[in-house]
Amino acid sequence: MEVTIMTNGLTKYYGRFQALYGVDLEVHKGEIFGFLGPNGAGKTTTIRCLLDTIHRSGGDASVFGIDPAENPVAIRARVGYLPGELHMDNNTTGNKLLHFYNDLRGNTVDWNYVNDLADKLQLDLSRQVKNLSHGNKQKIGIVQAFMHKPELVILDEPTQGLDPLMQQVVLRLIKDMKAQGSTVFFSSHIMGEVQAVADRVGIIRAGKIVEVAETSVLIGRSLNRIFIRFENSVDASSLSDIPGVSILSQDDGTSMTIQIEGKMDALIKALAKYPVSDFETQRPSLEDIFLAYYEGGN
Amino acid sequence: MNAIFRNSLNKSRGAILGWGIGLGLLGAMFVPIYDTFKEQAELMTQMMDIYPPELMAFFGDFSSITTPDGFLSIEYFSIIPLVLAIYAIGAGSRLVVGDEENGTLDLIAAHPISRSNLFYGRLAAFISAVGLILVLAYLGIYIPAQITNMGLTAAELLTPFLSMFAYLLLFGTLSLILSLVLPSKRMASMAAGIIMVADFFIQGFASSYSELESVAAVLPLKFLQRSGWIDGLELGWFFGLIGVAALFSLVAWWRFLRRDIRVGGEGSWELPSFVFRSSKKRALTEHAKVSGD
Repeated sequence: MEVTIMTNGLTKYYGRFQALYGVDLEVHKGEIFGFLGPNGAGKTTTIRCLLDTIHRSGGDASVFGIDPAENPVAIRARVGYLPGELHMDNNTTGNKLLHFYNDLRGNTVDWNYVNDLADKLQLDLSRQVKNLSHGNKQKIGIVQAFMHKPELVILDEPTQGLDPLMQQVVLRLIKDMKAQGSTVFFSSHIMGEVQAVADRVGIIRAGKIVEVAETSVLIGRSLNRIFIRFENSVDASSLSDIPGVSILSQDDGTSMTIQIEGKMDALIKALAKYPVSDFETQRPSLEDIFLAYYEGGN
Repeated sequence: MNAIFRNSLNKSRGAILGWGIGLGLLGAMFVPIYDTFKEQAELMTQMMDIYPPELMAFFGDFSSITTPDGFLSIEYFSIIPLVLAIYAIGAGSRLVVGDEENGTLDLIAAHPISRSNLFYGRLAAFISAVGLILVLAYLGIYIPAQITNMGLTAAELLTPFLSMFAYLLLFGTLSLILSLVLPSKRMASMAAGIIMVADFFIQGFASSYSELESVAAVLPLKFLQRSGWIDGLELGWFFGLIGVAALFSLVAWWRFLRRDIRVGGEGSWELPSFVFRSSKKRALTEHAKVSGD
């Protein structure tokens, strides 16, 4: 599988502060990779090392097989980037701003496509940037990241400041980019959107990658939470003896919530001797998994 | 580089027009006054005779005020370079760090443009802006001088402006380099401003206090042709100022290539990292300012 982004032992110091502790990451060509982590975990630092707007302190990194420290311009020419903290020149219109960014790219942009993107995002490019809301400024940022149809789109919190409808539009644009063969690497701390579009997820915690997996696998292999209601009051405390099962709550003997890690076979066989009236399994969301990594310090 | 140059120069339009037209009008106002000075030359000489010698030493030779070049030297070229240096210092400190502090540089630097092109595109725009301001200021004196009895040729009048150009480039690049070393553009402007003002006073007092002569001899104002320019451009002084400005530019470029681009806000100033090589203590404030995570 062709690798678009690779980091190996990537470290970054800001003076005496170490922000990245050996980040190992592989993003494959054509996939949507969700990069999860709370504020300060190292998401933006990793992205900025890949673009060489900051210089890495150690380790290896490559984008399209090119070392960012050696030839950042060649990488940036093939990348669309939306910063997490988007700041643009306020004293101009969106249209002029995009023309300036296009100039920096050597006038490679198809303006019909730009107008199409603006229409999809309901963005008026003729207005002064300083008069735009935060959400509309974010839309300009999204347009400039997509407008040259890059091979790799790096989006740092792409939906922040957007209303739910526009968030959906952006997620569709991300899927469209994948359909066109582009790779999408986006950081977020909104689990729902990552779960909705990402093929794989990487979780970064305190400057270290703690998990990289396919989104479905990550969700599938995790803990399940089960609510059971019995027809009569039963003493089901013996269920807690089943390996991987823990009882989270128990009412007057007619209902309980348990958590199970791994296969359910033993649990179901144990439950067979009780009069079960309801059995509801709750799959964990990506958010539950994410929180488990942080709250558990795992 | 062209895109950066055009964009930067375009953003300097207001400053070019404001400073250029302002100084042009100021010059146009001074030139007609010269005829009055010339008509009352004898009275002016008597007045200057009663000035304290310390004042004369500080502000220079007033005796030439009745000649066209002497008049412009005293009334215009003695102070305007210092006023314009304020612009040069501000523009130099903003050249790279201004956009860094307001956060816009991060996105620009993520485009396919090398840091060198980014740096030199902006530097070229700054040099052009200074040049255009001086052209407008020059025309403000040259045109009325042709109408009145000043009798200065275009080439004669060009000399002090060329000298001023070199002087302004020096202060612009000085504040540029300071902005890349100090935590903020404000501090860079302040430091360069202090040097500029100190230079002015040291040059003034050096004629009265010989102890200051050696210091004054190496400061930039010494090499600005505020007077005597009618005899031609001091090439050594001119190229000396240009050379130092070029050296400052190279050091600033070298520094820009090696530093991280901040996301926003002002940075903090630390001793070089090798001093703390053994220490890995966390400095959360610094991290938040630089990473944006």
